[in-house]
Amino acid sequence: MKFYKDHYDVIVIGGALAGLSSALMLADKGMDVLVLERHNLPGGIATSFVRGGIEIEAALHEMMSIGPKENRLKVGKFFDDMGVDIDWLPVPEAYHASLPGLEVTLHPGLERFAKEIDEQVPGTYDKVLKLLKLCDTVFNSVNELSIHPMSKPQMLLKHEAFVKTAGYSTKEVIDTFKLPQKAVDLLSPYWIYVGSGFSDLPFTIFSVLMADYVGYGSMIPKKLSHEMSLKMAERAQEMGVQIEYGQHVDKILVRNGKVYGVRTARGDVIRSDYVISSAYPNAVYSHMIEPAREVPEAATKMVNARRISLSAFSVIMILDKPAEELGIHDYSIFRGDTMDTDVLYENLAGLGPYRYLTCICHNYGNPGVTPEGTCSFSITVLPRVDGWKKVSAEDYDRVKHEVARQLIDDMSAYFGTNLLDHVLEIVIETPMTVAHYTNAWNGCIYGYAHTMEDHIIARLQTADAEKFIEGLEFAGAHAISGDGMGPQVTNGRKAAKNILDDIKAKEAVKK
Amino acid sequence: MKVKNFLKDVGGASRVTEKRLDAFENASAVLTNVDPIGNVAREWHPGRIELVVTDIRDACKTAKTIRLERKDGKKLPFFYAGQYIVLDLKIGQSLVSRPYSLSSAPCEARGEHPFAEITVRRSKGDGFVCDHINSELKVGDVITGKMGLGQFYYEPLRDCDHVVALAGGVGITPFVSMAKEINNGSLNIDLTILYGSVSADDIVLKEEMDRLEGEHVHIVHVLSGDDENWKGERGFLSAELIRKYAPSDASYFICGPQAMYTFLREELEKMDIPKRRIRFEVFGQAKDITKYEGYPAGLKDEVFTLTVRRGIHEDQIPAKANESLVTALERAAIRIDTGCRSGECGLCRTKVLSGDFYICPEGDGRREADKDFNYVHACACYPLSDMTIKIPIM
Repeated sequence: MKFYKDHYDVIVIGGALAGLSSALMLADKGMDVLVLERHNLPGGIATSFVRGGIEIEAALHEMMSIGPKENRLKVGKFFDDMGVDIDWLPVPEAYHASLPGLEVTLHPGLERFAKEIDEQVPGTYDKVLKLLKLCDTVFNSVNELSIHPMSKPQMLLKHEAFVKTAGYSTKEVIDTFKLPQKAVDLLSPYWIYVGSGFSDLPFTIFSVLMADYVGYGSMIPKKLSHEMSLKMAERAQEMGVQIEYGQHVDKILVRNGKVYGVRTARGDVIRSDYVISSAYPNAVYSHMIEPAREVPEAATKMVNARRISLSAFSVIMILDKPAEELGIHDYSIFRGDTMDTDVLYENLAGLGPYRYLTCICHNYGNPGVTPEGTCSFSITVLPRVDGWKKVSAEDYDRVKHEVARQLIDDMSAYFGTNLLDHVLEIVIETPMTVAHYTNAWNGCIYGYAHTMEDHIIARLQTADAEKFIEGLEFAGAHAISGDGMGPQVTNGRKAAKNILDDIKAKEAVKK
Repeated sequence: MKVKNFLKDVGGASRVTEKRLDAFENASAVLTNVDPIGNVAREWHPGRIELVVTDIRDACKTAKTIRLERKDGKKLPFFYAGQYIVLDLKIGQSLVSRPYSLSSAPCEARGEHPFAEITVRRSKGDGFVCDHINSELKVGDVITGKMGLGQFYYEPLRDCDHVVALAGGVGITPFVSMAKEINNGSLNIDLTILYGSVSADDIVLKEEMDRLEGEHVHIVHVLSGDDENWKGERGFLSAELIRKYAPSDASYFICGPQAMYTFLREELEKMDIPKRRIRFEVFGQAKDITKYEGYPAGLKDEVFTLTVRRGIHEDQIPAKANESLVTALERAAIRIDTGCRSGECGLCRTKVLSGDFYICPEGDGRREADKDFNYVHACACYPLSDMTIKIPIM
């Protein structure tokens, strides 16, 4: 039986947001694309599942860079261009910050956000707004430069703020504003979405994060993340992409430094000119390239040098009362007993007690997402993989429950309601759960840590030199733009663009 | 680096690039493949494994217990007491798979001589797989299976530490697993089992249960038949009977035949128990789909053509109107991944490309967006016309 064509232009390993974005863009340009996804549905962790008849969001699911219909941002525009029509709901607020001495809900819009901080810390409006505007300027530069690279003198002329903040950490830049600590605290909660402490987080990344989320707010799909993933997959198939679920790719086949196909766990050998891998470079270079001698030393050094970032631990509960009756307020609550991100980053290296929790009550952003009289409430910690690497299969269940209990107890104390008295359904997701469903290296969802040693600008500068195997591209949180659901679309498009550029260059040589 | 006047610095990009290249240069060149978190995930969920039948014994006059060990001699995967295993079998020309609750305990899967057991009753007509297991399966046979599936288990963060099990017939198996785990000291709950059988001869795993009864495990047998010598409880698992044995706060776990579910839903309703305290095991395949509301009349004996796409390959097979798509595929020896066979778990998620179909309303576990794009759970989907579907290659 013949399940595959003799040859594809591109094989994409992994049908999550990055892989599907690649597939969409390549199909749009007439490429013959095969997507191989090991699970039986698309999306990776951008998915949902059903428990007790209730569909539940699997991940922290706020999508950035969408924008309203009449004024789409980068990712929203891409979906429009590709004909992927998602029913977006705006997230009602930026976040409720529950920090030492602070209980405040902040809303998107740079001026509004600055004003709300000023109400808590009077006299900070101008400085905070100036900082946010600096972020916005850097953000716009990043967007433009990622599409139209330019020479250094030109960059300095047109993108001065971007160039001049490039070498500094978030802490170094924020310090120059001399803001009171409380104002800094209120500007910090989103740090967890990029996952490095401020003394090591490139200001460039902080800028993108703040400008996008605070400036424009975020969106969620009405029928949960599965709506987005499925609509991308269905649209790709309409455009001629072949997607095969339940197919685990074991090997990437390489000859004379160039890919020529893949082999699946079933044993199918499928040929292609290009391969886009959503599998981590760590997995690819350590056991997927066949023959292994095709892996150059520089590739091994690269993966050994880079730090694997954060995974996810979530307790998702369906509770048997409406949120209001349980004292659960706001769509998202970011709660910490300190807002020192460097201290919190250290705390994430262990197995708890965790000191920084992010909670979502889905009903406030998507009314009717659970049956009447119930609500959905999730508590998430994004731990570094380090602590969880030490948990054995035998201890796994115990540790999982201990950590879950800590999170629930903390939030119960905060709300003054024992949430455990109201649990209709409970699902605990761990780094192992992520590994099980997506095969992500060590269950990591954030790729490589954004640090001053692994700066996004450096990643862009050295990208060409890191193409160790011809025809092999990477798309996923481990690619240049790093973690986040929005950035996965960008990562996927970049991989597709690299292939299209390569084809163009080769055609030019032929002529 | 503390630089106050960073706005004069234009060398940042080059500096961070050098920093990164230096880090690469100084890194180890030794290839490592260290994914301990992935390894734990694979230990818990290794996927399909090869199992050898090492023992078959009577669980009562009408049921057998099958012991399975891993062919490679390793420990069996972790699971929670109450979960099930899916076994793949070749019966005649059919390639079938079926879920069975494990009657052995998690501690037995991880012990010195690790094994798993299922207990299967000879059917009264409709379960040709149960009959095959009861009469054809032999010690030494090798079959594949996937275990640790299902949501029917005690969850300490949700359930009360006293569980009242309401079991009927062979539905006792998950509770035998729980009882063993309790006596092993690895499940800290009290378990009161109210177990309904027709006659004393029908009581599955009676001896095993007698041994398990103790400080934390209480078993009450209830017979519905007219057994003259029976001195224990009689009748069905009524609200009145449940009230007699259940503590004031308990979680109710129900597993048994479909008729019992219908009966117990009403009985539990009378008792005013909070919804979060009641957990039913999945319903199982519909006995007669034509009886459900909304099923079109007059189709019962129709046979349609089912076009099955796997990759670019296409097969055409017959599909009876009153059998699920999964059954049609299994009869034609086309493999499809299945789990609960009750429409809930979604392992048999299938794209319908054309044709009309009926979805069993009992336990429909489809995602909302899936409904919009004609994805169905093939075990609970019945053809109403010729159909074309796409399923994963296995």
